[in-house]
Amino acid sequence: METMTSAILPAAGAGTACAPTAVLSTVLDADTEAGTRTEAWQATATDVPWVVIVWNDPVNLMSYVSYVFQSYFGYSETKANKLMLEVHQLGKSVVASGSREKAEQDTVAMHSFGLWATCQKAE
Amino acid sequence: MARAFKNTRKGITGHLEPGERQLIRRLFEDIIGMLEPEPSAAEDPLAALVGLDQYAVRPQDSALLRLLPDAVRGDDDAALEFRRLTERSLREQKLAALRASALLLDHSPLQLNEEQARLFARAVNDVRLVLADRLDIKTDEDAQALHDVDDWSQAEDLDTYLALVYNFLTWLQEALMQALLDGLGRTRESE
Repeated sequence: METMTSAILPAAGAGTACAPTAVLSTVLDADTEAGTRTEAWQATATDVPWVVIVWNDPVNLMSYVSYVFQSYFGYSETKANKLMLEVHQLGKSVVASGSREKAEQDTVAMHSFGLWATCQKAE
Repeated sequence: MARAFKNTRKGITGHLEPGERQLIRRLFEDIIGMLEPEPSAAEDPLAALVGLDQYAVRPQDSALLRLLPDAVRGDDDAALEFRRLTERSLREQKLAALRASALLLDHSPLQLNEEQARLFARAVNDVRLVLADRLDIKTDEDAQALHDVDDWSQAEDLDTYLALVYNFLTWLQEALMQALLDGLGRTRESE
């Protein structure tokens, strides 16, 4: 299963990150008991919060960072500017949280914009 | 000197001198050259197709590392695994933005819809990240110190030249971002 999971994850451009889950439930739903276990597993996987952290750097413009937060995450101008100023003044900011898959996708998206981002389990 | 970008009903318009367009296109091409993966004979074509790169390693060049940074802090193994799963598609995304932006430069004036403007901003930003690395800009103070370099007649050494180019692109990108932010504001008003 390990190989299958990691072979599917990278293809996870948008939305496909849940593919391993779908595969798992198709296989396991045949057996009721195992099917219940799958549901429990899914619940755990989404309940453990992960966060995306954006780090300060001297190159990315404040206007650019705010625009990325607004256009990519759909945040209001006020929220985007608050997070941008946190990055700028405190050195970093947690800009999003959610499932591990979502946090990983968001991190790659931030890299595609040239922002310096990492993801980790929420503390 | 180029005129600032303007967001009108027809989209975002920007005026660049022929020399400026040529300079930016060359810089885009330089970054494309940095990001294009080296073809490997041992590579699994299917893995490449889905964006996997089992041989990806952390870049030694600090500028390339800034374009393709570690996604996990304090855990080199996890960072490397993440890189092998995602770096190839990240490269492809960046290359696509740079190539599209190089083509957009063929038109004068530059006429961009929002999506094109976003791609152009990403491409210019990647160039600025690489230049900043070459110029050793590590802190806000470093960036501030270069800010006043604006006299092209003093471009006698490479660092001064790079600083001039960096400041020009910063100015250009700031104008583009203001135009894009104007567009976001207008969308909100009409909602």
